[in-house]
Amino acid sequence: MAGALSDVKIVELGEMAAAPYATKLMADMGAEVIKIERPGTGDPARTRGPFPGHQPHPEKSGLFLYLNTNKLGVTLDVARPEGFDIFEKLIADADILVHNVVPPEMDRIELSYERLAKINPKLIMTSITPWGMTGPYRNWRAEDITVWAGGGVCVLNGGGALHPELPPLKTFGMQSGYQGGVHAAVATMGALIARRRDGEGQHIDVSMQESIASQLEMTFSFWPYMKMVATRLGQKPLQPAETMEVKDGYIYVLCIEEHQWKAFVELMGHPDWADEEIFKDRLVRALNWDALKVLLEEKISKYTVMELYELAQAKRIPFAPVSTMGDLLGNHHLKARGFFVEIAQPVASKHKYPGAPLKYEKTPWEIRRPAPTLGQQNEEIFGKRLGIGAARLAQLKSAGVI
Amino acid sequence: MAKKAPLEGIRVTDFTWVWAGPYCTLQLAHLGAEVIRIETTTRPCVTRMLPPWPDGVFQGLNRSGYFNQYNQGKKSLTLNFKHPEAKEAARRLIAKSDIVINNFAAGVLERMGFGYEECKKLRPDVIMATLSGYGDSGPYRDYIAYGPAQVPLSGLSSLTRYKDWPPMHAGFSYADPNAGVHAAFALLTALYHRSRTGQGQYIEMSQWECAMDVLAEGLLEYTMNGVEPVADGNRDPQMAPHGNFKCLDWPEPVMGVVIDRWVSIACADDAEWGRLVDAMGQPALVNDPRFATLAARKANEDELEKIIQDWTLPQKVEDVVARLQAANVASAPVADSHSLSEDPNLLARNYFVRKQHAEIGVYPHCGIPWRLSATPTEVRATAPCIGQHTDEVMTGILGYSADEVKKLREKGALD
Repeated sequence: MAGALSDVKIVELGEMAAAPYATKLMADMGAEVIKIERPGTGDPARTRGPFPGHQPHPEKSGLFLYLNTNKLGVTLDVARPEGFDIFEKLIADADILVHNVVPPEMDRIELSYERLAKINPKLIMTSITPWGMTGPYRNWRAEDITVWAGGGVCVLNGGGALHPELPPLKTFGMQSGYQGGVHAAVATMGALIARRRDGEGQHIDVSMQESIASQLEMTFSFWPYMKMVATRLGQKPLQPAETMEVKDGYIYVLCIEEHQWKAFVELMGHPDWADEEIFKDRLVRALNWDALKVLLEEKISKYTVMELYELAQAKRIPFAPVSTMGDLLGNHHLKARGFFVEIAQPVASKHKYPGAPLKYEKTPWEIRRPAPTLGQQNEEIFGKRLGIGAARLAQLKSAGVI
Repeated sequence: MAKKAPLEGIRVTDFTWVWAGPYCTLQLAHLGAEVIRIETTTRPCVTRMLPPWPDGVFQGLNRSGYFNQYNQGKKSLTLNFKHPEAKEAARRLIAKSDIVINNFAAGVLERMGFGYEECKKLRPDVIMATLSGYGDSGPYRDYIAYGPAQVPLSGLSSLTRYKDWPPMHAGFSYADPNAGVHAAFALLTALYHRSRTGQGQYIEMSQWECAMDVLAEGLLEYTMNGVEPVADGNRDPQMAPHGNFKCLDWPEPVMGVVIDRWVSIACADDAEWGRLVDAMGQPALVNDPRFATLAARKANEDELEKIIQDWTLPQKVEDVVARLQAANVASAPVADSHSLSEDPNLLARNYFVRKQHAEIGVYPHCGIPWRLSATPTEVRATAPCIGQHTDEVMTGILGYSADEVKKLREKGALD
């Protein structure tokens, strides 16, 4: 069986997480992705790790190896005219270009949809940028943390009311990139489906800030609806919904529904707590959480995380362990479902990676090849596919174009 | 000539509720699909009852800002499955749908009679997706999952913390929207496959697994080195400064509480650090040996952060960001619901949707995070009131007469 996107050809001009994640999603579903990296150093993700033995090496970055599975890798300096000429040849044969070149840099190297559409009118070009292609922040300098903050998530997490001095806390990893990437993949698939019908390409402007703001749950609406600001400092509206420490780690204690609370106090051996006026419903429990928390801590501290989790789940209470990485890699449910996949790459050797985000009945998610080493397919793509002669390739290489 | 939206003509039977599923079908509605929510007044979607509400008071099922945000552009058909006629109406709808989606716990849809095998009989090329917390196989397949608990379960909480502090949360139920948008991508790839081959298929998701796909760096530290990643708050091994710094509070307290404000700042290299200290009016810092290199700044990061915060503390966030962006330093307000509502960039891009809701009037909601140049997409309608489209769907799509609808309603089948 072939992947769902096995007839789709993509060129990626991507660095770090956003564009590479968008194209990884499509490559893992069968699309051919030619990833263009800058000659010499390549995608800066190669410098970020994690690295085996904590020794930085451009071919051993866990982040790069994860984000670039199933891609073909070439090196090309598109800022140089000779480089842009070759880029145009790749574009002529592509269905989709996904990039996260920021707008000021796009201006500088004259990368635009108008220019590329002249080469390939059916091209879909997806631009993933921190603040969008229009608007007053278009040219703002950004890093993942500033976009995550500017999209509205940071403010929700961190020290809480007891520690207002602790700053709003960024979520682990390059979440702005991941969310920009997956929202871009959705929009790109929409354009690809429209192209099958209409026969036309188009330009897609994906804003990472908007991708983040789109998923703030109820927290955004609190301002327009009630002129309230949802922040990390606020008292939780409902309790229990809290990370708590037990014998060997942390567990997330959650009883949103009344029947879950009743089942929990029974489990604790204190069914009478359900009748206490100060714990009578989830709102009142939130108001009296300081008192309740102490009582619960004493009761649950004798359990291990997994004991309490399994006891709670047996009573249909939605507790969850605060998983460490070791917990996840060793988890028997994830093993039974075959979530983690082993990928061997010649330089970095073999490691386990997170696997398919979803399982498909007919069109497999699969790893056909590991992430490319820097310029691994230069010969295959530039030489064999584009027909550039060996002498010219050597010339381009010594000039630093490829 | 106005072009059609990408998914115009695609119909979705939407059994999802709460949050992950509705975020998935919101993407499809954004792209132009006709998304028909199957609801019942006897057990309404939880989010219809959650705050925020206009005036802060719960006054019925159509007024929640939570529901109204994530169900924009969809239709609502109420069916009470205690009545066999209601099940028959759902079967007719499935027969006319391209996609059927649910986020019930494993096995629930099968017990209702709408499992994949049944749906295939009604519609041979149907694409069906099931989103559940743990997936529909494996020893935990019957475990119960709630949005907020999926964040710690996924590993995000143990990675998101200040140095030597307990695990913290990420977003509110971040694993839910993350699952929803990935599921939308999966459905679109399946639609594309169907357009080439005529084949439908079944897609299954564990929200837990999907969340682990966005924390690969943490997992790979463990698989490569056998150790847990060392969390260090907002700091970054390759950039310093890299964090959120306090500014002037909002001038007006909200319900008696002072709301603090912060600015996010990052310097990717020594040159950006030089631009930052110039913008701060403290150019001598660039030669200070405590901060001259990344290694030095990392070694003295507490002092570094104190100097920056002493500078930001008496200023308005917007003034700090304007000054830093003029100097090309990565920075942004740490946005909250108030500042986001007034964000000049989002306003200039017409990101917010302001449509007249049948019951509560006009409230801004977050819109579509992309712009398509040739097949423009737009939020076509507000979120539906419960049962708002029952008559329209029953008579217009499913072929019931007005009289039949009336009788079914009297029986309670359309509650």
